[in-house]
Amino acid sequence: MIKFSNVSLVYPTSTQTILEGLTFSIVEGEMVLVIGSTGTGKSSLLRLINGLVPHHTGGILAGDVTVDGISTQLVRPGELAHLIGIVGQNPSSGFVTDTVEEELVFSMESLNVAPDVMRKRVEEILDLLALAPLRNRAISTLSGGEQQRLAIGSALVMHPKILVLDEPTSALDPIAAEEVLSIIHRLVHDLSLTVVIAEHRLERVIGFADRIIHIAGDGQAQIDLPENILKNSVIAPPIVHLSRALKLDQLGLSVRDVRRMTEDVRRNGKENPQVLKDPTPTAILIKGASISYGSHLALKNVDALVMEGEIVALMGRNGAGKSSLLQSIVGVKELDRGEISIFAHPPMSLKGAVRRATVGYIPQEPSDLLYAQSVAQECAQADKDNGIASGSTYALLQGLVPSVSPATHPRDLSEGQRLALALAVVLSAQPRALILDEPTRGLDYQSKSLLIEILKGFAAQPGRAVVIATHDVELVAELADRVIFLSEGEIVADGPTIDILLASPAFAPQVAKVMAPRRWLTVNDVMRALDQETDSR
Amino acid sequence: MKSLHPLTWWLWSIALIVTVIRANSALYAALVIAGAALIVWRWAGKFPWSKSFWFSLRLGTFILIVRAVTGVLIGVPIPGTKIIELPIIPLPDWMAGIRIGGVITQERLTSSLHEGLIIVSVIALFGAAVSLTSPHKMLRVLPVMVYEFGVAIVIATSSLPQLVASYSRIKRARILRGDEKPKFKSIALPLLEEALAKSLDLAAAMDSRGYGVSRVRSRYRPIKWRSADTAIFSSGLVLLGLVWTVTS
Repeated sequence: MIKFSNVSLVYPTSTQTILEGLTFSIVEGEMVLVIGSTGTGKSSLLRLINGLVPHHTGGILAGDVTVDGISTQLVRPGELAHLIGIVGQNPSSGFVTDTVEEELVFSMESLNVAPDVMRKRVEEILDLLALAPLRNRAISTLSGGEQQRLAIGSALVMHPKILVLDEPTSALDPIAAEEVLSIIHRLVHDLSLTVVIAEHRLERVIGFADRIIHIAGDGQAQIDLPENILKNSVIAPPIVHLSRALKLDQLGLSVRDVRRMTEDVRRNGKENPQVLKDPTPTAILIKGASISYGSHLALKNVDALVMEGEIVALMGRNGAGKSSLLQSIVGVKELDRGEISIFAHPPMSLKGAVRRATVGYIPQEPSDLLYAQSVAQECAQADKDNGIASGSTYALLQGLVPSVSPATHPRDLSEGQRLALALAVVLSAQPRALILDEPTRGLDYQSKSLLIEILKGFAAQPGRAVVIATHDVELVAELADRVIFLSEGEIVADGPTIDILLASPAFAPQVAKVMAPRRWLTVNDVMRALDQETDSR
Repeated sequence: MKSLHPLTWWLWSIALIVTVIRANSALYAALVIAGAALIVWRWAGKFPWSKSFWFSLRLGTFILIVRAVTGVLIGVPIPGTKIIELPIIPLPDWMAGIRIGGVITQERLTSSLHEGLIIVSVIALFGAAVSLTSPHKMLRVLPVMVYEFGVAIVIATSSLPQLVASYSRIKRARILRGDEKPKFKSIALPLLEEALAKSLDLAAAMDSRGYGVSRVRSRYRPIKWRSADTAIFSSGLVLLGLVWTVTS
């Protein structure tokens, strides 16, 4: 179905080869997962399939890519629209029309499909993706999960033979992600659709993949069965780390397989003692906080405390009010009712240096914080703002990621490096509280464990507190002391991480699913229970 | 209002523009602006482009003021009732015929305002048509030949509101870095970068979804010309006819 013969790719302004001499073929009905660290060329590989690279991006392509016998060099991407459906990383930036129905028919209208055929297909897709109740809604009013389903629907409505997805679940909460992935899985099985999917959070997709393409970053790429690739790969879901740590004979890729192999572990492991922390003073106090947008209540009478030394994770579905709460904690959104104090300051009154020393905030797009032309200038600006010795911020950055060159433009950094730079800039002011809004979107496993280390180190210093909003249950399991769970603007659960995560299967991390009913969340928990302290990562 | 043909309001406003120019009356122009405002306020939805009318009014007012000031200060004197006399700024001999300052008469002021108001009403009528019509729907009735134009329209209408959202997001992030009065450049650079990246994404999405591949486009919901369209368009025509007979 898809055939790469000896494909090499170089972008015009870069000296680095993205892909070199890549040869493989994907047959009909196969689901292939593309993995690799950020910035290694996963998206480029996906966009090669329908010719967006190099038709849209420029660059030199050697070798040939053929799809269903058509070479992408000879046709424009649009002429493959009936054959390939492609869904980009951020669905909202690819919508062309105003309403759900118009969006679904856009491709078909462009290709002059007959109206009666269109009507049939639209009904079919509306049913298949459970979009029927939304058909007349304006796209801008849809939630993240609904938008993702619509984007997939608008691709599928052409009855393509191939569906290409670039990180389809990165912006979704675990439940919405599950919905989207199970739909794709069903399509592969029912319609023998060929699917190529790139994803960082392997734990979400590994069970569905037939083969994996691993892009190493130096132009080399491997394609093989998941077992063979993951045996030695640094990029691996927690379940594989568990298999490795327990030295199982076989690499289990599904919860069911690993459960069968680990019966004795569940039987023999001892209960981990709960670490009780000494009570500490309150860092952030939230009392009766309410915010509304028009008639929609974003926060309803929220009461919560964050203690010094604590890392608190804020979870909940898309649109549950997480961002609103964080923004009112840092003082950029005024409460309608109620009050918040952060280290005894009302957040709205914070200004300049006092603000920097009280609270540091990492927004969803860390690059919003950065505006200088190079890493060195950015660090120098932070030194100047905070009146600290020049070079301190850069030294801090070196401590986080040693490999960043000071002359690089912040835009050219990888996602992980950019997050580290934003963190260095914020941390250089020595804030007492650190607030992060979904920092792990688009981060690979390596950057994620780096982030965990940084945040743990930060919270271990006296008189500090961290609040982090995230969808990533694996991150929460590794990092957080406590979880606050929001739903429709109300706190529905607030308690120790282990209690909250184990309460609902949708939010349980992979290791916990394998080890249920034992109360272990991470590979480290399991090893501790077996008295084998190992460094699993 | 959803079912109106995308060309209806455009035809209506073109008819009205002709009447305004033909009538050449400040009172009539003001009435037309008020009428358009009423229609936009009542029927424009909550879409990114719906605010174009209010923007066009602001633009029109700006033009009116600039025109009135320059028209009064510079140019040929019109004799009439004196309001105020300003000193004449001496100009070199080769600029004969132009003078700055001098006697300002009521006649000169009213004629400047009069012309200005007609320009404002033309701009406002264009704004009203934009406000009342979805550019995406407009795209569907335009021929495929104007491919680049179509891509540009979609990108412009979807990136403008995005630009506004990104602007407030970036500015907020700056404030959180303790930078209450961020420099223009420090916001503009990341903003432009983002807008550019998003526009490229959108163009790529349109391309990979087959936009412009077929010369003929089919229509899922045929765009029909209904009686409401006829009513609106003929109201414009009737007005045009009236003005024409009155002025000729």
